Amino acid sequence: MLTAPIWLHQKTGSIIDRSHIGVKVGAITKLQTITTTTIETTTKTRFEEIRVNMAEMKAEKNPVKLVTSVGSCVAICLYDSANMCGGLAHIMLPKSAIAPHESLPGKFADTAVPSLANEVRKLCRKESRLSAKIAGGANMFPNMNALNIGAKNVEAVKEALAQHKIRLIAEDVGGSHGRRISFEVETGNVTVKVFNGETIEL
Amino acid sequence: MSEQLEKNNSVMYLKSEFKPTVYSTLIDEVDLGILLELGSIGAGHAATALSQVLQQQVTINIPRIHTIPPHELPKHYEKHEEPTTAVYMQIANNDCDILLAFDAVEAKKIAAIMTMAPSVEELDPAMEESAIQELGNILIGSFLTAISDFTGIQLIPTTPQRVIDTFDSIIDNFVVKQAITSDNALIFDTQFKRSNEDAKSILILFPSPQLQKQLVQKSKEQMIN
Repeated sequence: MLTAPIWLHQKTGSIIDRSHIGVKVGAITKLQTITTTTIETTTKTRFEEIRVNMAEMKAEKNPVKLVTSVGSCVAICLYDSANMCGGLAHIMLPKSAIAPHESLPGKFADTAVPSLANEVRKLCRKESRLSAKIAGGANMFPNMNALNIGAKNVEAVKEALAQHKIRLIAEDVGGSHGRRISFEVETGNVTVKVFNGETIEL
Repeated sequence: MSEQLEKNNSVMYLKSEFKPTVYSTLIDEVDLGILLELGSIGAGHAATALSQVLQQQVTINIPRIHTIPPHELPKHYEKHEEPTTAVYMQIANNDCDILLAFDAVEAKKIAAIMTMAPSVEELDPAMEESAIQELGNILIGSFLTAISDFTGIQLIPTTPQRVIDTFDSIIDNFVVKQAITSDNALIFDTQFKRSNEDAKSILILFPSPQLQKQLVQKSKEQMIN
């Protein structure tokens, strides 16, 4: 009997070690006797959702979904198709220069892009190019401020991506509504869900 | 300290070479206590107003002041994707952002009571928006009036704006604005609950360092006189 979900690689079928995030794989004694039922449960638990909070960055090589909700913030999804890994950053502000204090790199567009790219490249086994998909940058409260941080965030993210030579392949930005972003690290699919509205595949 | 506060207010216009290490808006425990007390006075009045509008018993929790990095606020509420109806207001000269957040279903129920709709299903969406904005006006109005009366500072709110979205994406906008100025925001929050409902309505205020300073100063003057 299994006490913990097993993570199988989609193509090779080898077991992925997830002990580093607290999932015990050691409970399996006979690998040969894995039945079809266990594989079903495996496919169910394969897309475990990991929440990325504000100003956070997460890079993953295991087949999970990285999830976040954005308003005027921007979610940057970097994907490496050759190694099937990727990362998500939830940035809040355009430039680290506008804030006079030392802060988390994940907070600003211009610092988040290079450090997330680094994190993702660390997970890669072979050299490859990253591609990016971005979503967010809404202006939900038009009379809140004339700053329109959302648009500036988007602009700064694009600038930073261009600077670090990362190709932007899809975007869903602007508007006046929040978005829920779910990034499948294995396939690179990004699903943007608008509250009480349509679901967009990027 | 006053010098530091003034610096804090003009932060948005500063160039990158200006890099002080620690930023905290108010360090003094006594000042925090004064602000919390002011908030409690306001919250009490707001709860009374809500109770009178709905003709129901309303309970409030003990108001709190958080001095946390702004980006940790969504984690604090743990409401992530919950549908939320929110009313946003601001004190006229951009001093303070005010957010009144209801659970979306709870907002419908309250609007149905206010508009005397026979049921939640028959509630007209336009009427709902109008009712919720008006409720925001009443609640926040009485909150600010109470503080105004005590301190003598004129606090005029702008017209309310309503949005329906997930909790995280709504709060996102406010957090971003706070995050520009510092890594330590001062956030006041209190929660209301109708007696026979589980859903809690949250009132969050993001006072600017300028306003915090003003409120503390005026309150101290009041106490001496």
